[in-house]
Amino acid sequence: MVGQAILFALILLAAPLAAQEKAQVDLAEIEKEIAALAEKPYHVGGFFEFQPTLFGIDRDSTFARVRFYRDPPPHLFDQYALRLRLEGSYKKDIFSVFLKSDTAVRNELPGWKEETKLFEAYASVKPNTSWIFEAGKKVMKWGKGYAWNPAAFIDRPKNPEDPEEALEGATLATADYIRSFAGPVKTLTLTTALVPVYEHVNAKSGELGHVNFAAKLYLLAYDTDIDWMIFTGSSRTTRYGFDFSRNLATNLEAHGEFAVINNFALTTANERGQLSSRQSDAVSYLLGVRYLSEQETTYIVEYYRNGTGLSRAQMTDFFSYAQRSYRLFQETGDESGLVRAQRLLDGAYGRPNPGRHYLYFRASQKEPFDILYLTPALTTILNVRDGSAVVIPELSYSPMTNLELRLRAPTFVGKQRTDYGEKQNDFRIEFRIRFHFSL
Amino acid sequence: MSDAIARMGLALVGLLGALGVGAVFSAPRITYGQDADQILRKVDAVLQPESFESYRKLINVEPSGAKREFLLFTLKKGHDKIISLFMSPASEKGRATLRLGDNMWLYIPNVGKPVRITSLQSVIGGVFNNADIMRLDYHVEYDVRKMEPKLKEYILDLKAKNATVAYDQVKMWVDKKSFVPSKIECYAATGLLIKTLYFKENKPFDDATLRPSVIETDSPLYKGYQSIMVYSRVKKRVVPDEVFTLEFLGKVETIR
Repeated sequence: MVGQAILFALILLAAPLAAQEKAQVDLAEIEKEIAALAEKPYHVGGFFEFQPTLFGIDRDSTFARVRFYRDPPPHLFDQYALRLRLEGSYKKDIFSVFLKSDTAVRNELPGWKEETKLFEAYASVKPNTSWIFEAGKKVMKWGKGYAWNPAAFIDRPKNPEDPEEALEGATLATADYIRSFAGPVKTLTLTTALVPVYEHVNAKSGELGHVNFAAKLYLLAYDTDIDWMIFTGSSRTTRYGFDFSRNLATNLEAHGEFAVINNFALTTANERGQLSSRQSDAVSYLLGVRYLSEQETTYIVEYYRNGTGLSRAQMTDFFSYAQRSYRLFQETGDESGLVRAQRLLDGAYGRPNPGRHYLYFRASQKEPFDILYLTPALTTILNVRDGSAVVIPELSYSPMTNLELRLRAPTFVGKQRTDYGEKQNDFRIEFRIRFHFSL
Repeated sequence: MSDAIARMGLALVGLLGALGVGAVFSAPRITYGQDADQILRKVDAVLQPESFESYRKLINVEPSGAKREFLLFTLKKGHDKIISLFMSPASEKGRATLRLGDNMWLYIPNVGKPVRITSLQSVIGGVFNNADIMRLDYHVEYDVRKMEPKLKEYILDLKAKNATVAYDQVKMWVDKKSFVPSKIECYAATGLLIKTLYFKENKPFDDATLRPSVIETDSPLYKGYQSIMVYSRVKKRVVPDEVFTLEFLGKVETIR
């Protein structure tokens, strides 16, 4: 006890000496900077990005053979992509507007491609804190899953290999009603949305010429986030969803998502390429956890049951058909089978995750070896049914403010006639440099 | 009667402290429940008003001297509601955090929907974690386990009220006159020192209350690293509860 007291006294005595060596802050300078930012009603910013990628192409895979049967690609292909993301906002009183655009230039196998998209552009009116009205193009962000969101009925699907990337929004009009309470139910939010589907508005969101309705009810009840959502109208069949998220401990979060799509139509091909279409209620769900260890490793694990997906047999049949069509093309020049296979790849078979059962795992280590702003990570997406997977080692580092570097090497592992085994690439090596700016 | 005894005990321990007899770990361990709790509440009132808005600069300093700076706008209401918006740097702009009691979320504009985060994670890296950046009043999360009066300060030993609190134990050095803490040590349940917070540069904000405007922290777990939090424009402001909701996380800028 006396030893502890002496040690503690020494620490107390040493503390002022240590403090003298600490960094000093210029309070007046900070006040000036805050004053300048606090009064600004607008913002313009975004990022520049340069991403060279080396593709290791599996020329024997179904994807490569169907997509490039006329002109087989090289084993290695180097791509250079430039991206400019612009964001702007302005607010005055109860009104505000927001814009986000994305311009990308890259060389693809057929040649250079430039693409500019308006990701978001909407106006917002907030007469008070209980009501928010918005109209324009925006992302709705429904669902609690990290890699997949089966209950995000309006948004475009995320890329599970890179789920944190921004998405292009949908054009719609929304009204939010928000209430807070004391007691076990702390928050209630009702979101309603009108989603038009016409030739130039949300044209890929179902049958044209209709205005659809969507709604989401959110509750924060008993420290649990709970959402119920519905999408109905004439453009698509009616769909219902439910999700939840809850912190089970200071370092453990659990979440889940459930969705039903009524009369979901799925077109499949058998081994001989004969198409058949079937309508049934598609039930999808996702269960996941996020865990932070004492060593500050974050683990994310999700199981996804994709009710709109294809069975193992349906996928195997398609791969067999496509490969047989390729052989036929080589022998006779008949490309009709490959043209049909291409159309199928543009549909259900070409989705990032066309199967029914997937497991997502990600482990990321915050600042190992006391190196600030360095995050190594390992991600795996496994098709549970056929055992194929993509494994993504990743290293992210921010050497200075606003500069982010990321090195990733997705590697596709799987036998022939499996989901990831038949993807176009054996591997990719991506290096991304992203510089954020603010005007 | 019991209050009188407690006050006498308080005076006695204070006297012993003044004589240098009360070594930190060998001092009599006496609990002064109500008084100690009131002192803790006064500390909370001095550190931040119950409902307020503020701007904060967070600075992470690396052993090399390199700095990384973040500017946050923060609104707090009552004992358990805090929302913060990152205003700079550009790479973080638009990020927002919400805390409702033990629940915390992070909104990243690109990712879209708010994701639940935990108190021990850090949204900015460095020594400050989420519990530091979105700190609730100490008396909301901690009970005073014991109080040791010294000549010019109280030493409060706090114990977390439940397992969801980021630090299991906290030791606080509080000035007897102003109730401004000079130092706070944060411990894990194992007794491991996680970090030390130093409170500096007391200055009057809009209600003329003298509050620390600079909080520095270091940690034996991050040797050589230091993080600094500078408060500015702290003023009382009461906003509707609806601001502290997930729906509002992407819209904090509109009420700034």
